[in-house]
Amino acid sequence: MSTIKVPKDREVPFGAVTPAPVTSQELFITSNWRIVRPVLDREKCALCFQCVMSCPDSCWSFNEEKEEVEWNWRYCKGCQICINECAAEALSAVPELDFPDGVVRLEKPF
Amino acid sequence: MAQEKLLSGCAAAAQAAKLAEVEVVCSYPIRPYTAIMMELVRMIHNGELDAEFVHGEGEHSQLSVVLGASACGARAYTGSAGVGVTYAGELYSPMAGGRYPIQMAIADRTLDPPGDFGSEHTDAMTFRDQGWLMGWASTPQEVFDNTLINYRVGEDQRVMLPQMVCQDGYFISHIPDKVIVAEPEQVKEFLPPYKAPHPLSLTCPVSHGPQIRPDQGAPMDAQRAAVFLEVPKVIQEAVEDYNRIFGRNYDPFVETYMMDDAEIAFFVQGAHATTCKSAIRNLRNQGVKAGLVRPRWVRPWPTTQLAEALSRVKAVGCVETSTSYGGAMRGGNLIHEVRASLYDLPNRPLVTSFMGGLGGEVILLDDFYYMAKVLTQMVKAKKTDKHVYWIGFEEE
Amino acid sequence: MAKVTEITVWTRGVVMDKEARDIANGFGKGAKMEGKFIQAFDNYEDLPDRVLVTTRKYVRISDEEIEMKYVYTNDHPDVVVVVEPTIVKGINVLRGMPEGGLLIINTNRPIDYMLQFIPNRDRLGAVATVDADSISGIRTVDFSGSEGGVDASGLGAGISAPILGAMSKVTGMVEKDSLAKVVSDVAAMERGYNEVTIQKFRKPRASYFWGG
Repeated sequence: MSTIKVPKDREVPFGAVTPAPVTSQELFITSNWRIVRPVLDREKCALCFQCVMSCPDSCWSFNEEKEEVEWNWRYCKGCQICINECAAEALSAVPELDFPDGVVRLEKPF
Repeated sequence: MAQEKLLSGCAAAAQAAKLAEVEVVCSYPIRPYTAIMMELVRMIHNGELDAEFVHGEGEHSQLSVVLGASACGARAYTGSAGVGVTYAGELYSPMAGGRYPIQMAIADRTLDPPGDFGSEHTDAMTFRDQGWLMGWASTPQEVFDNTLINYRVGEDQRVMLPQMVCQDGYFISHIPDKVIVAEPEQVKEFLPPYKAPHPLSLTCPVSHGPQIRPDQGAPMDAQRAAVFLEVPKVIQEAVEDYNRIFGRNYDPFVETYMMDDAEIAFFVQGAHATTCKSAIRNLRNQGVKAGLVRPRWVRPWPTTQLAEALSRVKAVGCVETSTSYGGAMRGGNLIHEVRASLYDLPNRPLVTSFMGGLGGEVILLDDFYYMAKVLTQMVKAKKTDKHVYWIGFEEE
Repeated sequence: MAKVTEITVWTRGVVMDKEARDIANGFGKGAKMEGKFIQAFDNYEDLPDRVLVTTRKYVRISDEEIEMKYVYTNDHPDVVVVVEPTIVKGINVLRGMPEGGLLIINTNRPIDYMLQFIPNRDRLGAVATVDADSISGIRTVDFSGSEGGVDASGLGAGISAPILGAMSKVTGMVEKDSLAKVVSDVAAMERGYNEVTIQKFRKPRASYFWGG
């Protein structure tokens, strides 16, 4: 097929159509938007799923095997909606700088 | 048995759309293409055509509606004319870049100001850079055929591009002529159903046209440019198939008329090519060796075919029914691409242009005789004095 | 072609975007007053900024008229200013920095603590921190200067003032008095100048342009 060669890391899918919805993708990782991180006190957690429902980025999910809510550290933007919505006050905002890791370190903003 | 009917270009387009079994039609009235939608709505009302009919709020809405319909996997059809075509301007690039193969039937009309119903090709020509397939028909029969051929080419998996099937407003759209309306079986053999590669769907969700990174802009453009390297092959296959199934005799890219021994050539697209053919026959009787080259496609521009067809003539006169104010030749826009196509020939012909038929005026046989005289003088003088002649305004 | 000193200011969108713009414009204006040639503008692709997204502003200073006006991405920043400290954790801010570059961070944490997040710190000439949040504490939000417009509310009303003072002390490129004519909160700027903590890694050499 007669075509124009494009470097592989810059390729665009056909007609700019992308699979959706996806739970994660490598093209736009937003963990470095955070200033604070929601830390869960599992003793207090009532599994009411307010955090799961209210997160705009779907960063809280329910792990059925472990029967606990899990936090997606790669995409959480630190908006603190879950901390606000938590019915059991089990979530608290801790500065991201208190933790040595837990952020995807990017070369460029995007 | 395929019937022969007396149909105008608009009615022919509607008949072809019905046979192509379009699924979503979006309309907005603007003369002279309105008749297409009037025919289609009558057919839908009678039950002859099973399609969704949406009356848009304007031409911008029209294109938006069919974009959405095509994204969901429906064969969509719309149309416009004149300033309606320019009003929908925002949608042309997303439609082509998103690879939605809708068809737009354009019966062209002069652009404002002020209001003029007459035919001029500028409305669709303005958008020839957006990445659509585009071509002018010169008879209602050709409108019918182009509708089907364009769906076949545009919906081909190697192409997936929207198409503009253009016809001269009034000359083709309103004057009836013999049209052989095909049988549904023939159309079924020629035109496979539309299969969108990634339709919007509840079971297999996709996202159309999200934001890209800045460094993906150029690859996106490269993808769109690369398609047009494939398109001529698809056109060749489709037209050969069409000729076989429907019994026509089209050249895929350019129609040539009496070009074997021609010394001067007219380059005309659209309705006035028919008048030109009569003029050429009369000129031949008077000993002028004239010929006609009629492009069937503006996009993709038939560069190599044009160069081949015009390689042996000494002078070419482009009849421009469109304007490109401030363009390189200060006239129309066909002359630029003709000169570019011929530039690499070892003995390139002289090229000039004639602004004719603007505002929907008739191009008379006398006008063609005048053009032939100018071209003959050019050949004698071996140079081009002027690149733009305004028919009717020049002193004879 | 004279050397163009490239300064990149990293900040977070909406809540601190104006501060970084003030830093870029203020430093540029100060340098211009002293007779240097400057460019100061936002990075286009990072805008329009969303809340907390990392954005960049650029200041380019030279002794002669800057020729390469439109190759603007500061691929080799000599000075990097970070307005919100968590950015050094998530972004390789020292990317492309030549040997002996400077890093200035607005934070109240000790320098050694911040350095643990920067694996490529060996190319640094010096690191400086200034606690601009406690000095000024205000983060102005004003969109009038974005999209290339003119800042309507003036320069240096918030945390940009102490950071500008710190930049003047650390880089030595612009005098404190020139900045005093540009910013509105001069007291905060002076405090930033005095209270900045610097840790140097290399002895100053002639090829390193920074003073301080």
